[in-house]
Amino acid sequence: MTQKQVAMVIDLNKCIGCQACTAACKSLWTDEPGQEYMLWNNVETKPGPGYPRYWEEGGGGWNEDGTALKAGVLPPKEDHGEEIPLNFDAVYFEGTEKRLQQEWPMGKGANWDEDTSSGEYPNNYHFYLPRLCNHCTKPACLEACPVRAIYKREEDGIVLVDQDKCQGFRECNKACPYDKVYFNYVQGKSQKCIFCFPRLEEGVAPACARQCPGRLRFVGFLEDENGPIDKLVNQWKVALPLHPEFGTEANVYYVPPILPPKFDEEGNFVDEDDPRVPMEYLRSLFGPAVDQALITMHEEMERKQAGKESELMDLLIAREWKSLFNIPDVKVA
Amino acid sequence: MTLTTTNRRNFLSGTGAMALSLKFGTVGAASHTQQYRRWEDIMRNKWTWDRVVRGSRGLNCTGHCAFNIYVRNGIVWREEQQGEYGYQGEDTPDFGPRGCQKGLRQSKYMYGKQRVLYPMKRAGERGEGKWIRISWDDALTEVADKFLDIVTEDGPESITYAMGTAMILKRGGFAGLFRFANITGVVIPETFAGVGDLPVGANMTIGHPLPGDSMPAVFKSRTCIIWACNPAATRIPDAHFFWEARYNGTEIICISPDFSPTALRSSKWVNVEPGTDAALALGMVHTMIAEDLIDWDYVREQTDMPFLVRADNQKFLRESDLQEGGREDGFYFWDEASQQVVAAPGTGFVNPFGPPQPEKEPESLLLEGITPAVEGTWIVETVAGPVEVTTVFAFVKQEMENYTPEKVADITGVSADVTRYVARKFSQQGPGMIYAGYRANKWLHGDLILRSWLLMCALTGNTGREGGGVQTTQLSKADGIFAYVFAGLGPRLRIAALSVWDYSKAGGKENNERVYGKEYAEHVEKHYQQALQKRWLPDYSRKPWRMALMAGHNPASWRSTGEAWRESMMSEVELLVAMTPDMSSTALSCDIVLPIAHHYEIQDMTMEGRTPYVQVIDQAVPPLGEALPDWKAQRALIKKISERAKERGIAPIQDNMFGQPIERDYATAYEQFTMNGQIEEPTQLVEFMLENSVGIPNTSWEEFSKKGIIRVDDSDNVQFGPKSAYNYETLASTRDKHPWKTLTGRQQFYLDQDWFLSEGEAMPVYKGPMSNKGFGVRMIMGHARHGVHSWTRDDSLLLSLQRGEPDIYINPDDAAARGIEDGDLIRIYNDFGDFVAMAHVSPGLQPNTMFMYHGWDPMMFRGRKNFSSVISTNGLLKPVQMVGDYGHLRYQTPDFVPNQTYHDCTVEYERYQGDA
Repeated sequence: MTQKQVAMVIDLNKCIGCQACTAACKSLWTDEPGQEYMLWNNVETKPGPGYPRYWEEGGGGWNEDGTALKAGVLPPKEDHGEEIPLNFDAVYFEGTEKRLQQEWPMGKGANWDEDTSSGEYPNNYHFYLPRLCNHCTKPACLEACPVRAIYKREEDGIVLVDQDKCQGFRECNKACPYDKVYFNYVQGKSQKCIFCFPRLEEGVAPACARQCPGRLRFVGFLEDENGPIDKLVNQWKVALPLHPEFGTEANVYYVPPILPPKFDEEGNFVDEDDPRVPMEYLRSLFGPAVDQALITMHEEMERKQAGKESELMDLLIAREWKSLFNIPDVKVA
Repeated sequence: MTLTTTNRRNFLSGTGAMALSLKFGTVGAASHTQQYRRWEDIMRNKWTWDRVVRGSRGLNCTGHCAFNIYVRNGIVWREEQQGEYGYQGEDTPDFGPRGCQKGLRQSKYMYGKQRVLYPMKRAGERGEGKWIRISWDDALTEVADKFLDIVTEDGPESITYAMGTAMILKRGGFAGLFRFANITGVVIPETFAGVGDLPVGANMTIGHPLPGDSMPAVFKSRTCIIWACNPAATRIPDAHFFWEARYNGTEIICISPDFSPTALRSSKWVNVEPGTDAALALGMVHTMIAEDLIDWDYVREQTDMPFLVRADNQKFLRESDLQEGGREDGFYFWDEASQQVVAAPGTGFVNPFGPPQPEKEPESLLLEGITPAVEGTWIVETVAGPVEVTTVFAFVKQEMENYTPEKVADITGVSADVTRYVARKFSQQGPGMIYAGYRANKWLHGDLILRSWLLMCALTGNTGREGGGVQTTQLSKADGIFAYVFAGLGPRLRIAALSVWDYSKAGGKENNERVYGKEYAEHVEKHYQQALQKRWLPDYSRKPWRMALMAGHNPASWRSTGEAWRESMMSEVELLVAMTPDMSSTALSCDIVLPIAHHYEIQDMTMEGRTPYVQVIDQAVPPLGEALPDWKAQRALIKKISERAKERGIAPIQDNMFGQPIERDYATAYEQFTMNGQIEEPTQLVEFMLENSVGIPNTSWEEFSKKGIIRVDDSDNVQFGPKSAYNYETLASTRDKHPWKTLTGRQQFYLDQDWFLSEGEAMPVYKGPMSNKGFGVRMIMGHARHGVHSWTRDDSLLLSLQRGEPDIYINPDDAAARGIEDGDLIRIYNDFGDFVAMAHVSPGLQPNTMFMYHGWDPMMFRGRKNFSSVISTNGLLKPVQMVGDYGHLRYQTPDFVPNQTYHDCTVEYERYQGDA
């Protein structure tokens, strides 16, 4: 039982897919041997196979009544892509090769489908989905670990793989329905997002959030009444977990995307009852609660358009950057 | 040790409070409450540093974001946005935490294998990649001797010092390069119009090319049209202002042929056909006029709409028409109050570089009781008899009949209702903004797009309004830079327009003949020759370049007509020298490569773009290998030139600038460069520039490097004030009523110069994009999301977050018709050239278009041919952009020179059959 649960709200209406979060995480935590293919944080274009490819189809998580784990498959390493060095020496300094390229073929990498839209022009649709470990309330990875190397910290609910205890059975890799636990083939350990706990302990928001130039990640504790997380998740109910049907009770929440209207046959705008992103698809990602979340969002956006006040919109605008982070002792990193 | 969670936090807050404190190991870890978990300390240790240094970018990136640079064991491990910009202004979001993925890769990229670590001399053929390592002294001696040979034989005009994109933002390095050129007389090719970015149409209309406010202005708009621009990918640190504005009730309307990253985030997407933007804008102008959505008071005061024009010759009614010996720059209204012709106040343009003028009373745009008629015809008695006159507005209104939304729909593919919808929103919802960037200018007729946008903004009173107007960019004043560049010498710089150089030296006329037809080629050539004869254009191409120094520059990547350009430019120059941190296709083609420090290894400063801040670039670690910071490399070179000039007994040479004889003394060039020892270190230069800059609080290097960020003066509002370090021209006219710096003193939509009249461009009209005959697919390009121009396109992580090699977006139906699938290699070709890239199939692309992010280096393509191989446009100069002697229209970098064209070509594509 955790005393407090740290959480993140990611506003998909602000994400521009720039991958600053990915780069920030990479240089801080995963620049060691065996980690070349790991993106503890990634951003993928949706709809699309994502990272690792077709992760949503890999099983794992809990059964419907939450009593037992469902079977999951190991995501193949090659479905992740990886950071590959370039042949700079051969081309620029030795003159032995003509074309500057990766040292070996990349395959379909982590962001292969960047901006690959779905549907048909001009009513096509896509958006960006940043993903990290959900630090679930019911972590399937923890449940699956045969050596109890995975634990959930009481003080903040962060889920960690104890690198001293992990013996590399990879049961967690199979069990996580989000495919957010990675296996270090060099070190023989499973590794994953640590929610930047060393930063959080000092009151500094995780790198992916604090370094997000789009200002779209709120960080705080679920229990902090009237904190931004509480307001967005519990009060306004516009922030929803990804794939709630996985049953792990994810603690990363998303404000669903609202894209520009479609066009009718004459090329005029279609109204919002028939949104560009099909509701069916959004429900498949965020569950049935997405309908009401979008209604609320539209209502509040209209209030602002009409020159009225909206607490929700002001919260999401976050005029003061630091208001995104409701964690103690926020200071300069 | 057992502490409760609360106690532990309090304990930590005490140890971690200092903003830039060293973090002393694992104090926090030892206090861990629930259970000691040894492995957690490993992660805590990963987040400890020896030093944290304030830095920023030294690439040509207008973000100039503030970064903290984290150093451990003498190595930069990572960087993080400083972010602490603080309060921005009333009601607008603040600036934190400016940065992007490219910025966050610099700690890795600087240690990449593309780095040049020591001076190298070519050992094989150019471009072969075979080198021998040489000493700095040997390299500089060879360059200096060749330099002196050439200046004594052919003069400094035969040497170019190419100032690349990476130089522009390092103000010390930039100032050093310009001082070097000012002392020596070498030619700097300007790159603004050279890359097709110059908003010439803005200069034609408002007398300066770069209208723009601080970024939070976006938040103040109520209707923000993002037009021919993709800030979600290209202005990553600023993009949040758009979506925050959307939440605040602003309608964000993205007008773009493709469903761009910006389009998908916007309130509305308008899918215009490529290159037809001016027609769409004029359709909106038609709606504004037809539905009387016009701010008449603004139009009367701020624009030339009420100015009288003669019906017989389409020229303005001038004072010289009414009086013998009258002024050519005196213009008239028809005053409705007095029912007579009255002189418009505040007209005429004084060339600041022209002959001295007598002092005049400061004039104002205030109408002081005059009510200028905007429509009507009148008979006026001129010195040559009675003449019928009407107004500019009457002309424009008549012309706009060609642009009813229905007619425009046929051109643009945008429905008439959507055109009207946008026009009404723009006019009626409060401040209307057109956020534009540069892309529109890359069309041949980009000037007409800018003029049409400005017309929309003028009719609705939006230019100069808080949250309104066309936003291209905002350039800081450069007084600090030029205080150093000109000190003790005055201005004696040679700056060449690259477009003109390319036209004459890289086969522009021949390209035009080959691609666009003989008739068109002759039309351009006739005007070009006349412009040279009239001395409207300086001809820096009379002497061939024998030597090129290329600093922070990768022109072999981005020139239009790439292959042809590389052939003509690079093969003829006797000595090519690259001064660069990183290898590229350009450096590879050089004879000598000199290693330059990365921006975490130098001391400099930067300011640019749309923030009210000045940003330090401090040195986190010493330069790798034998690399030298930009300014120190320039100093080393000029010192060697001086030494060799003395040793060789080279006397000062006589040069001629602007018709004046001047002397250039290479033996004392070093003393000139350091201002006789006054500036010996980069930090002294930074302090000198700060001291000599208007609007920047005077700050010592020590304080500057500690703070990282300085806020400029007079920047409380989203529009910069007169005492700020940024330009304020727009507000000067709309708020403070100073005449615009145009011939008419107004936002000038009517240009009665002969070439404008003969080209049918006296007022904003639509002219369609040019095509390659028989090729029906339009290739659109834009700044890259994962690169800074041609830089960092080869970063290993960012490449892995794309497709590992250059890709190009195509429409699924187009792909299917050609038997192409996603991921296939395709050959893109036209009658000019070809290149190969990977097909990225997406229904976000309009049929018959392709989209490719620019900046991919030729080195990354098969046969070293990138997109520039099909860009056949380097001869497409517009006659009206070569005009001179017309008030504000005269050759002047970087305000008004012919803009290089990039978009006016079409292609076809097929599956690539060659070797993978």
